[in-house]
Amino acid sequence: MEEEKDKIEKEISEDLKELVIARLDVFPKNKKISIGSEGDFTKKQLIEHIKKGDEIGEKIIEIQINFLKALKEGKLLEQINTSD
Amino acid sequence: MDGLFFITRPKYDDATCYLFYWSQEIIDFAKNNGFRVISLDKERVDKKTVINILVKTSPDLVFLNGHGDKDKIIGGKKEEIILDTNEKTNLKIKIIFSRSCRSAKTFGPHSISILGVKAFIGYDEDFTFYYDPEKIFRPLDDKLAELFLKPSNYVAVALMKGYSALESNDKSKNLFKKNIEKLLIEGPSSENYTAISFLYWDMVHQVCMGEGKTTL
Repeated sequence: MEEEKDKIEKEISEDLKELVIARLDVFPKNKKISIGSEGDFTKKQLIEHIKKGDEIGEKIIEIQINFLKALKEGKLLEQINTSD
Repeated sequence: MDGLFFITRPKYDDATCYLFYWSQEIIDFAKNNGFRVISLDKERVDKKTVINILVKTSPDLVFLNGHGDKDKIIGGKKEEIILDTNEKTNLKIKIIFSRSCRSAKTFGPHSISILGVKAFIGYDEDFTFYYDPEKIFRPLDDKLAELFLKPSNYVAVALMKGYSALESNDKSKNLFKKNIEKLLIEGPSSENYTAISFLYWDMVHQVCMGEGKTTL
């Protein structure tokens, strides 16, 4: 049971990684992203961090998933429509 | 309007270099609107000097630029902590705006409950922004970075215009929303389209705590 759960979680995690990498792939390659104290990164460097599954990679996944969820759940448009 | 505005501007890497130059428009705005300004720049941003200024001058508005973490704010050199949750000095500051990663998580509440700050605006997660490395010597020409830094700057501008801490945070967030909306309308063909997810991140993690009705 526990093994099955771990396997599903791992598959989801791999799917998320692929999704985020696909999104990052369209980022302009000559630009950089500053992520606070973590440093400044090109898209190639970010993709490497995601593949490695380190802290920076996880942060990027969180940022992207956070945005996609807001888009899917209509929160993004709702927030935009409530601005002055 | 008058009052004392204290700003710190470290400058030792790409991110702080951008924050340094983009903060100039806030200094200019403050001066043009009757505020007295103390700008502490580059390596001069150290703990001793910052605490001295805060204690001796009791600024109405403190704007801290630079790196940080949930419990601390870094100064003019990497790893130089200028303020953290070990600080217990009672500071007679009305409002702190901290453009320093995650500092709204633990340091923000600490500044309200222990340091006596009335309102704190900051980021409870990493502050992110896109930039064009080719513009590193002319950061103010970087339209990509402007998408992030102009809305963030507006917290201080709105405060100086007389809006409350809560209103200023909302007005700044509205500028983030407008930039997101603009990019959504331009669609994926816009070269800056992919900035949306990071703009959204900064917007939702920019928070105001303490007495939201506080004005300068």
